[in-house]
Amino acid sequence: MQQTVSKGYPKRESNIIANNIETQVPPELSHWLDSVAMQRDKQAFTALFQFFAPKIRRFGIKQLGSEAQANELVQETMTNVWRKAHLYNVDKGAATTWVYTVMRNASFDMLRRIKAKNEQNLGDDIWPIDMAQDEAQSEESNFGDHLMEKQMLNYVNTLPPAQQAVVKGVYYQELSQEQLAQQLGVPIGTVKSRLRLALAKLKQQMGEQYND
Amino acid sequence: MIKHHPTSNVLSGFVAGDLPASVAIIVASHVELCRECANHVQQLTEQAAMQAFDMTADDDWLNDQVQLGDTSPQHINDIDHDGIDSNDMELACDSRAMIDAITASPAQVKSAVAQTVTEIEVAGQRISLPRAMKSIGLREWQGLGKLSRARLALDDDELRASLLHIDKGGSVPCHTHKGFEITLLLQGSFDDEMGHYTAGDFIWLDGDHTHQPITQEGCVCLTVSSDAIHFTQGMSQLLNPIGRFIY
Ligand SMILES: [Zn+2]
Repeated sequence: MQQTVSKGYPKRESNIIANNIETQVPPELSHWLDSVAMQRDKQAFTALFQFFAPKIRRFGIKQLGSEAQANELVQETMTNVWRKAHLYNVDKGAATTWVYTVMRNASFDMLRRIKAKNEQNLGDDIWPIDMAQDEAQSEESNFGDHLMEKQMLNYVNTLPPAQQAVVKGVYYQELSQEQLAQQLGVPIGTVKSRLRLALAKLKQQMGEQYND
Repeated sequence: MIKHHPTSNVLSGFVAGDLPASVAIIVASHVELCRECANHVQQLTEQAAMQAFDMTADDDWLNDQVQLGDTSPQHINDIDHDGIDSNDMELACDSRAMIDAITASPAQVKSAVAQTVTEIEVAGQRISLPRAMKSIGLREWQGLGKLSRARLALDDDELRASLLHIDKGGSVPCHTHKGFEITLLLQGSFDDEMGHYTAGDFIWLDGDHTHQPITQEGCVCLTVSSDAIHFTQGMSQLLNPIGRFIY
């Protein structure tokens, strides 16, 4: 089994890594990423894997707390490196910074899956990995119109007329409760209690409809 | 001109991936608008990367090179006899299998990751939403008088994230929070007891602060809060039953 492990490993590059141990990261990393992006170069990917996998595993154990999760993080991160290498741009930063971003994003999404059983991946939205992103591109999304006033008015219109008058006076005409009491010819205590009833009813309606 | 930024600690937590999702999103949304913080985040990310991928601190690394890097099968046998941990050997085999599996998968199609900007219309004005929010839906707008908000469809424990719109001349009555409240001003401006805020400003208030934002021109904010707001003064206390609808 061991023999297959070593087959095809670019020895020249491993020597370069060894020689550069004092000067932190091997300069070939970004070149390897390029080869993966341009030529789907498995040798280059293997070299990247040898360099990053043990470190990602160590990061994963720290962040996710288990060997199994750490291995999954290696799998997830290195899969993204293989599939998205074309998003890396050597002019905009070091390969290690880009791979860190890919790893941290995968780890963030995994942690949300573990803790909150939440399958929604947000990492790449929060920390973009696309270094060549097209700023000009824009897409308008349809969330509908700003319905607040109409919608609110619909709620208010379901209230008994006396309560409607109070809510509209306070929120739409911005009258004080004293002014309103005068206008409606009722004691201020009545204005207060109508408002209280109205708000309770609105709260109930909004609560029923939105339920959050 | 942005004057209010996340603290260095918050930015470090952001880079480390340690913040809750809704807080990470509001920090990311500020960073999109703020060159100063974008540069800071870039530096912190470089540092975090150096730390995570630090070669000198990595003892396993040399072993891996010996174990995986030498090409001759005999050499491997020699090492084997020299007593390399069989665990490590298993790990190495797993690695090879993983590499084979990964490299069998296709590259991602470029268009699938195209960045998009989402715009929405609020009170007759178009505003661009932060990219960090692009996969997150908005619930319907609801509100009362000059205040309205749309909650983000984001599941994040007890934290609530919302877009908040305050119309021209509107205000949020004086209120406190039991937990914390983060506001990122996306458009327009507002004032409170502590100052004047313009688009891009990032304001983190803890529960011991009381404030009453007032806006002349109207504003749209992204907010994250850990609790329903609690109105503290006079008649606005009547609003407490619906305080939870506003933030
Ligand atoms: Zn900033």
